[in-house]
Amino acid sequence: MTATLLPGAPAPTEAPAPGRRRSGPRSGRDLTLVATVVVVAVVLVAIVGLPLLRILLAAFSEEGWGIVSSMLTDPVNRRILWNTVQLGVIVSLVGTLVGFVMAYAQVRLDFRGKRIMHLIALMPIVSPPFAVATAAITLFGRNGIVSSDLLGLGVDIYGLGGLVLVLSMSFFPVAYMNLKGMLESLDPSLDEAAALLGASKGKVFRTVTLPMLVPGIAGSVLLLFVESIADLANPLVLGGDYTVLASRAYLAVTGEYNVAGGAAYSLVLLVPALSVFLVQRYWVGRQNVVSVTGKPSGTPELVRTPALRIPILTAAVLVCLLVVTMYSTVVVGGFVKIFGVNNEFTLSHYRFVLAGIGSDAMFTTTLLALVATPLAGILGMLIAWLVVRKLRRTSGLMDFVGMLGLSVPGTVLGIGYAIAFNTPTVFANRQWFPAVAGGSAIFGGAMAIVMVFVARSLPSGQRSGISALQQINPAIDEASTSLGADSLTTFRKVTLPLIRPALLSGLTYAFARSMTTLSPIVFITTPQTKIMTSQILAEVDAGRFGNAFAYCAILIVIVLSVIGLLNLALLHPSLRGVNRR
Amino acid sequence: MTQHTESAALVVDERAADALPAATPGRLDLRRLRKVYGTDHHAVPAVRDIDLEINPGEFLTLLGPSGCGKTTTLRMIAGFETPTAGELLLDGDVITGMAPNHRPMAMVFQSYALFPHLTVFDNVAYGLRLKKLPGTRVREEVETVLTSMNLAAFADRAPHQLSGGQQQRVALARALVMRPKVLLFDEPLSNLDAKLRVQMRGEIRRLQRRLGITTIFVTHDQDEAMTMSDRIVVMNVGVIEQVDTPGEIYRHPASVFVADFIGRANFLDAEVSDVGPDTARITVLGREWTVPRHPDATADSAPALLVRPESVRLRPAREDSVGGSTGRTISSMFYGQSVEYDIETEAGNIVASVADPHEDQTFEPGDLVDVSFEAARTWLLPVPGAGAP
Repeated sequence: MTATLLPGAPAPTEAPAPGRRRSGPRSGRDLTLVATVVVVAVVLVAIVGLPLLRILLAAFSEEGWGIVSSMLTDPVNRRILWNTVQLGVIVSLVGTLVGFVMAYAQVRLDFRGKRIMHLIALMPIVSPPFAVATAAITLFGRNGIVSSDLLGLGVDIYGLGGLVLVLSMSFFPVAYMNLKGMLESLDPSLDEAAALLGASKGKVFRTVTLPMLVPGIAGSVLLLFVESIADLANPLVLGGDYTVLASRAYLAVTGEYNVAGGAAYSLVLLVPALSVFLVQRYWVGRQNVVSVTGKPSGTPELVRTPALRIPILTAAVLVCLLVVTMYSTVVVGGFVKIFGVNNEFTLSHYRFVLAGIGSDAMFTTTLLALVATPLAGILGMLIAWLVVRKLRRTSGLMDFVGMLGLSVPGTVLGIGYAIAFNTPTVFANRQWFPAVAGGSAIFGGAMAIVMVFVARSLPSGQRSGISALQQINPAIDEASTSLGADSLTTFRKVTLPLIRPALLSGLTYAFARSMTTLSPIVFITTPQTKIMTSQILAEVDAGRFGNAFAYCAILIVIVLSVIGLLNLALLHPSLRGVNRR
Repeated sequence: MTQHTESAALVVDERAADALPAATPGRLDLRRLRKVYGTDHHAVPAVRDIDLEINPGEFLTLLGPSGCGKTTTLRMIAGFETPTAGELLLDGDVITGMAPNHRPMAMVFQSYALFPHLTVFDNVAYGLRLKKLPGTRVREEVETVLTSMNLAAFADRAPHQLSGGQQQRVALARALVMRPKVLLFDEPLSNLDAKLRVQMRGEIRRLQRRLGITTIFVTHDQDEAMTMSDRIVVMNVGVIEQVDTPGEIYRHPASVFVADFIGRANFLDAEVSDVGPDTARITVLGREWTVPRHPDATADSAPALLVRPESVRLRPAREDSVGGSTGRTISSMFYGQSVEYDIETEAGNIVASVADPHEDQTFEPGDLVDVSFEAARTWLLPVPGAGAP
């Protein structure tokens, strides 16, 4: 009876010959695991591997390499390279400083309206790339409401100054989240120990708090550097004569139809982006002295010294005011004819987006993002699980490839998609797949867009999944295995329910990412498949800021509502999988 | 049930345990089993070619210091680690390459590894449901085992709502319900408080005897090993030092390591004058003794005499200086049921434990004492690395 209760238990019937090596070391190993690894690897190759490979091939072609090698000799190209580095350095420093001030105020200061300040600081994450840029032009441009009408200044926002303002505002939330987490997990007993040893408040900050935060600050600077050199939307709208690598690559592909040139600029952009990413991940990550998994052992003491409190709070409030002003401009700008010029109330912009020509893009984008989000979420969790639990030597490689969708600049990824998928995938004289991107593609190019969405939003789920899994005792997996579950059953019945919060944040972020991503999309969007972000670009290009504002506002509303619904759905008890008898 | 009343309550319901189905005990053979971690360039051997036979229904303990390979051995048996070489046989069939989820074994983990998102009932039912048993059967079997473990009242609780001891019993119930041929324990008692740990030793042992399951128990706690096991396997740096009953391991350890690891030991340098089949004539502390010897303990092996502290006998000294059998008391510690002395002798310091001494028969630091021992309860051991090969 016992034996019949154990499916698969019957051991090999052949009598083992003494001294013979066991037959095939892998026989009887977990086949579902092998299958999962293969499927995940194939998907990763399709969504990031192949496009990157194709872009490298194009960049190393004769024509492409000519441009790459002229980067330092050709004065125009040298200027572009210098512009890119300059912009990256300034934005990463300014953005990190702003993020630090906001995080410090949030964690260490006591004031009313903390929660609202937190939400304001997160606004830029859920907003499309043009919202801030367009608002900045309206407010601070040549005929800007603030710069010209209120102050009568003849400032020019187009160029480095405007880009720094807009990019710092767009990216400081990354530094804010990073540093807020670190400040919260700093063990307050360290500060107390220093204080007991006779250190003053200022001394504690300089000798204990700050050194502990160095890895976090360095990590934020590097992340922001990559984000800002990779950004395409703002240099296109605000750059003016200030050309950077991303906008140059865009121009090469869409203006000059020079794919090799686009690939060449992409390669030059890819090298610093990837190296900074690697440094950030594997060097800064290891320097981290703050335990981010441990719960804080007490509540950090709030800083009451006015010398510290007043300047920091003032700066934080100013940042908040700026953010609020920008987004108010987006909201108001959608309801007036031409904000600042003709302030007459109108619904025509919203009509355009909700019921007119623009509604097509709204529906398509939301639908495709909704398709991509669960795919990215599940794929991210699967990769996290393989990386943490199942793979040994290859786990670093899979982690790295999974992160590529985010660490590779969107412009580069988009050009890679255009090269790889605008024509059918042919290998060894056989067509493996029809074209998935471009005008002649299957599903009107929608498939490539979903693939890009998944590639771009997968890493956030992967990261949160990895950190969640690292906190779950591996013995729980082994208990499931020893009770008869194969790898996939264990993942489905034990791992997934346990990393549900991580999955939720992964999905949330995935959806926001998909809805707001632009740089890879502009290269593969087709007339049949309109995507909101690239429609906004077109509206801004044509000077129809009102339509752009309406698009931005609606996009933000869609993102926020879907995030709200996701939270409700995944946290609802009836869906939490605690199946009672 | 609150935590402090728990240790007083009966942990396992003996009558209900009768309803538990008896398992078919498995027989395990480990043949030249080896595990090497790391790469070819940086190989770290964890288990070095061990041979071991585990009889059906036996309670076998793997005992040793951390890093000795006991957990790796257990994990190879469970299938969580793939052996680098060697074979593993269950009831005569090779199972070396069999996936862990196909092995008819169940494991109780040190951390209990209960599924935090499932209730106690669902935790225990987990394995049965995977076997696609009909719902009524699952309920029946789970209820039987929960009742026998005195857990029926907690069926709908989440694991984090239980005390450590209760969680431990859920982990045991979850393993037992699978009717494994071999039951594996990985230091299951180390997270319990001292009193409960002692109680659980007895409960697990009684349950194991009643069900007759072949059991492999990993621990670094020698008291656990001594009180629970049929046989103990003492491991050190990846090799088996000795496999024997608790009594034999204590009285006749195979090596200095085992003697030192199990219980407490004095090792005295011995001069061998004559070697018999089972005994040897030796000179220790200026006197001649006939003592039982390890087969390898010969005159060339520069052997040491193992004397347990409780076999040391102390009397007031006749001499007035340290030398020969006379030693000086350095310290004395009163434990209640015994007094322990540290004695300085010409052969080094000796620890002596005197059980239940009369008040007027104790010694103070500085007192000179005559040291002797019960020769039959000593054991002459070869010292590794000493003497001729």
